[in-house]
Amino acid sequence: MSESNLVKTVRLSGELEIGRKDEIRRALAASTDGAPVLLDLSDVTYADSIALTELLRFCAEAERESRPVALVIQTPQFARLIQYAGLATVFKVFEHPTDALAYLTERLRQ
Amino acid sequence: MKQQPSVLRLRCPAQSRFVASLRHALASFLRAHDFSGQQLDDVTTAAGEALANIVEHAYAAASAEVERFISLRANVDAKGTLALEVYDGGKFVQRRPVPGRGFGLRIIRAIAGRMTIDTSDGTRLRMIFERKR
Repeated sequence: MSESNLVKTVRLSGELEIGRKDEIRRALAASTDGAPVLLDLSDVTYADSIALTELLRFCAEAERESRPVALVIQTPQFARLIQYAGLATVFKVFEHPTDALAYLTERLRQ
Repeated sequence: MKQQPSVLRLRCPAQSRFVASLRHALASFLRAHDFSGQQLDDVTTAAGEALANIVEHAYAAASAEVERFISLRANVDAKGTLALEVYDGGKFVQRRPVPGRGFGLRIIRAIAGRMTIDTSDGTRLRMIFERKR
């Protein structure tokens, strides 16, 4: 995990699935300090609905705290999973970290 | 040479740490039968959702004597039709929708055009896929 002054970046990699549920929850919980969050999931090779539920819980909490969250997803399986779950409009998803960072920076200015 | 029907059978304790291994084994089996690309991803995703659903819910109301297992059976016939079953020995419970949860079955339905759920003896989810070339 790395931090800048403005945006906190959380990186998760590998398979985000039921066997890692607690680990995912802990990693996301570690970024609840008020800063906007860039969830860099570029290196995720697989995700399931358990991971989606954890991400959704995290994003809902961040929204209540008016903290913008951007997800970076490059894996087709992961991107399709979000579509299949009907969550395409719920998450702010970007293919490239630079685009996600630009979005979060813009949100900070508003 | 005509391709013969081929069956993969897997069974292990209904614990979250085994789900990825079952899914990987299924993916290897399907690759050996020329499933690939998005279809391979989608089928293994659907199987992963069904397996995770068992681990999360199937045995929630089960007594201590009940064997808690997850099973997967994949059969590819000579025409490339995959019959995939994921089943358990637990008790099917019709749960009320909870906001922010319950995406597994929605994902499975989006992927598997042909699926049935039999709850007469445990829960048996059956999906049919035609191999794409």
